[in-house]
Amino acid sequence: MPDSAPASTDRTIELRVLRYRPELDGHPFFDHYTVAYSDDMSVLQGLQVIKDSLDSSLSYRWSCRMAVCGSCGMMINGAPRLACNSFLRDLAPGPVTVEPLENFPIERDLVVTVGDFVKKIEGIYPYLIPKTARRLEEGEYLQTPAELAAYESFSDCINCMLCYAACPQFGANPDFIGPGAMAILQRYNGDSRDGGQQQRLDRIHGEDGVWSCTAVGLCSDVCPKQVDPANAVNQNKTKSAFDFFLRFLKRETGQ
Amino acid sequence: MSEYRPFHRPQRPFWWARAPYRGYSLRELSGVGVALYGAVLLAGLACLWRGPAAFASYRAWLATPGSLLLHLLLLAAMLLHMVTWFQTLPKTMPKLIIGGVAVPQRRITALGLATALLCCAALLGAAIGAAS
Repeated sequence: MPDSAPASTDRTIELRVLRYRPELDGHPFFDHYTVAYSDDMSVLQGLQVIKDSLDSSLSYRWSCRMAVCGSCGMMINGAPRLACNSFLRDLAPGPVTVEPLENFPIERDLVVTVGDFVKKIEGIYPYLIPKTARRLEEGEYLQTPAELAAYESFSDCINCMLCYAACPQFGANPDFIGPGAMAILQRYNGDSRDGGQQQRLDRIHGEDGVWSCTAVGLCSDVCPKQVDPANAVNQNKTKSAFDFFLRFLKRETGQ
Repeated sequence: MSEYRPFHRPQRPFWWARAPYRGYSLRELSGVGVALYGAVLLAGLACLWRGPAAFASYRAWLATPGSLLLHLLLLAAMLLHMVTWFQTLPKTMPKLIIGGVAVPQRRITALGLATALLCCAALLGAAIGAAS
């Protein structure tokens, strides 16, 4: 164990948590809780203190507590953050407002609906579609470090949806495919072993595809994994445009 | 018992005027400044085409305080546009891989800005050279 001083919990901080219980409340409201905290406590741990000893009816999603699983995304003081990755000591003296992720329907308290996001991921063929089929005895698909660097950051996405909460265009058009799904799309489209680019490209034309994006860029700023989804969306605008014009040419020469 | 009745919060009104979206809105607005300056230059070209008298009145208008103030505002818009344009540039292109490593976006922005400033200086130098 490191020789740090034992955690003291003599300080307190107020958490203002947006509550919504569909069976009781017509619309969400803020509940105020005061919790004791120590230097090593995250907002997620603050919520756990509330649930354990102040109000067991509070609902929120969490799992890994170490910014890997992407479950505990929420608005902390108005900004999309991972609750496990935000420390109460940095938010002192408070109060700290904790709300569910913006731009998503609220299921209950801090829990939002993720169904549409999952459908969007499913829609973009989120798996390698090999360019050329290889038999087992032919060995593995090889890749150079440069080919890995072309897509590596996009493979770090943890599906936490913070980028969607930061995106005003997703707020205006919930059918917009959005930064997260585009990062996952680019993870496969940018892979030298993949041959599914055209299939995926067909899914991202139009307003519900990449063209709702106006390069606000906040999605990349709030990403806890430096995935840079804005890059994934915007480099595919070029590809979508090229595809549009090349098809036009193809049709003309085909006649 | 639980009931499935998701609550849809409306998007915040005037989100574009609030932090952290203000910078984005200013960036987009700077494009209007660029278009306006284009119009100013185009008006000068049109005056030149119409004859010496028209061009002289265009030049006289350029020297008015109102025009100077407008140009100051347009210069600010142009500079903001230049900086944000090169900040956006690396977001719009595929990752630049050199020697097996992705080039940091900041370096691409810095290189673009340096090139733009160099071009500005060269143009300014040429203009001053032609005038003297």
